[in-house]
Amino acid sequence: MKKNTILGFGVLLLLQSCVKNPLSGPDDTYAFRMPDYFPEPTYTFANNPITREGFTLGKKLFNDPLLSSDNSIACSNCHVKSVAFTDPQHRLSLGVDERAGIRNAPSIVNMAFMPEFFWDGGVNHLDFVAINAIENPLEMNEKLGHVIAKLNDDPDYPALFRQTFGIQDTITSPYFLHALSQYMLLLVSDRSKYDMVQQNKATFTAAEFAGQSVFENKCSSCHPAPLFTTYDYTNNGLDTAFEDLGRGRITEATMDQGKFKIPTLRNVALTSPYMHDGRFKTLDAVLEHYDQHMVLSPSLDPLFLQSDPPGIRLTADEKEQLKAFLQTLTDYELLKDPIF
Amino acid sequence: MNRIKIINSLLFLPLILLTGCKKEEVVDTKQPGTVEIEFDNIALINNVPIQLQLASPGSTEYPYENAMGQQFNINLLRYFISKIELTGPNGESFTDPVSAAAAGTKGYYLIDESDVNSQFVQLKDVPAGTYTKLTFTLGVDVDGVQEGAVGGILDPATNHMFWNWNSGYIAVKMEGQSDASNGGVSGTETLEGGSDHGIAYHVGGWKDIPNSAFVYNNKRMSFDFDVDLKVERLEQPHVHMYFDVLKLFSGVNSVDFTGNHNIHKPIDGVPVAENMEHAFQYDHIHQ
Ligand code: HEC
Ligand code: HEC
Repeated sequence: MKKNTILGFGVLLLLQSCVKNPLSGPDDTYAFRMPDYFPEPTYTFANNPITREGFTLGKKLFNDPLLSSDNSIACSNCHVKSVAFTDPQHRLSLGVDERAGIRNAPSIVNMAFMPEFFWDGGVNHLDFVAINAIENPLEMNEKLGHVIAKLNDDPDYPALFRQTFGIQDTITSPYFLHALSQYMLLLVSDRSKYDMVQQNKATFTAAEFAGQSVFENKCSSCHPAPLFTTYDYTNNGLDTAFEDLGRGRITEATMDQGKFKIPTLRNVALTSPYMHDGRFKTLDAVLEHYDQHMVLSPSLDPLFLQSDPPGIRLTADEKEQLKAFLQTLTDYELLKDPIF
Repeated sequence: MNRIKIINSLLFLPLILLTGCKKEEVVDTKQPGTVEIEFDNIALINNVPIQLQLASPGSTEYPYENAMGQQFNINLLRYFISKIELTGPNGESFTDPVSAAAAGTKGYYLIDESDVNSQFVQLKDVPAGTYTKLTFTLGVDVDGVQEGAVGGILDPATNHMFWNWNSGYIAVKMEGQSDASNGGVSGTETLEGGSDHGIAYHVGGWKDIPNSAFVYNNKRMSFDFDVDLKVERLEQPHVHMYFDVLKLFSGVNSVDFTGNHNIHKPIDGVPVAENMEHAFQYDHIHQ
């Protein structure tokens, strides 16, 4: 009895230290960790505790084209590890039969902290995101029920799900969705140079430091540290009329037409092309947009109207400094990490 | 794995102890019983309840008529009932436990016209006593949606009641056909392939965002019994409820099949949602 209690507490202590201390030993590779300056996660971990087996199964699923209707496309085709889990090739993502989607694939790091998913926020929980990707005719063009049937017919998956989740019978969708979430949840991007500076393990160069203060003055009301987004929906002046209504497609409110979820800027140096439709290839083009090319529309964020013409004026120096700062948000450790 | 089991048993130990104590203190000799609620789907025509008949998709036989005199048939009818409660005059109260997890759900019931068994809901462990009122929610509320992927009756891969583009569960799903409709329905189970006269009413919505297409369309409703429902150990009382499908289209709002008959989002479902709480009716109790 006594032994058990000690063991039990040991596990508890282990779990707690995992959350707080990002460098606590080799045993917590598959524990959810984050630095203390990150906000509370939004994910419902109590319903889906991360385990080594669950994460590994999620990784296998994430890379498996079995999830698409013609077994041709995996999640990892559009969310490519080397570029922070975005799609470097396609302005608009390409699904089965080379069908072009309507939007650019966003990075899927730090999903544990996101309150609503997709550029328009239509999905309220990470577990449900995969259903959308699978059932979208422009992406994987499959039916969730059919994917589950394919998994049950597979020579390997049924045993893997039984081992992972301790289930007795056939694979059901919540376990499949939980495994995918476990993989994505551990994609916490917190090892960039910016983070090392926060943790007093590195220092900014003069240009990076100058860039940080330009950023804090001109960008951080929408892209605040540490996640570099408020997750709000707003319009940063890309268009006068909207082919894609964005948030307005979900809420149907006129004032939401042309608003999109503010994207994170973590790893932004690698996540080209930029914006919901991938219209800008380079960060220079993005900064030019904020400086010179913003256009008016009814839902344009009022912050940009403080300047005339609307936008955020940036000098050539400020642009270089901003770019230097944005480079510090690249998390090479995450992208090199062999567990992903 | 082993460690987790140890924690579990440690956690349960005090519970077992506690419940153990409680039982000895209880003096009431009456034991809890089971109550069955039948959700009987009907069409009330000239005040006579007619058993619902599902038509095969594409059939042009129209047994029903809406308030605007438009004839129609029904291929599919399904709805979620949750959070059932029974209450009595002397403080009797029973709340059907509700939970949702990957391993399964409790307290959510999917009533499906094509599956007779689904129309009988068994409430177990109802404390002995007299009950005079039934309360339940039509639809799945926030607690069934915010917890992520769950299994059982809420499994989105099998229940066909989940909106993936705008996550949440449909409360009432009805598909059928009427000559008044000029077709063009989408996202249906029974009418895919371009039915010329299809009607599809997928009504739901679990959150309210002012001035937006998000509206709360689930309905909580109560029914008083005309006689006492007595629960004791060996009794199996049965509550017979009617769901009158014709009332989906009349009452608060007269629904016109020549108008929008392809309903797939909360805001468009409001007229039917306002009607649907009046579609249920308490009929009788067998003791
Ligand atoms: C054909 C390319 C493609 C495939 C395959 C794909 N995605 Fe995506 N993913 C996208 C696009 C495009 C978006 C943005 C869609 C939108 O906002 O409407 C997205 C968005 C997401 C998001 C939300 C990110 C955010 O910031 O809100 C997550 C999480 C995600 N995908 C995970 C997955 C998973 C898991 C799979 C495999 C089941 C998958 N994706 C398969 C292209 C793809
Ligand atoms: C008023 C809010 C707001 C401010 C201020 C703002 N942004 Fe943005 N930013 C957005 C929104 C919204 C988007 C996404 C727009 C879209 O795709 O339609 C975005 C997108 C971006 C992107 C593209 C990211 C990607 O992955 O596609 C970059 C880069 C960016 N902003 C940098 C900046 C910089 C640098 C500044 C300061 C000069 C800045 N932003 C100021 C709201 C803002």
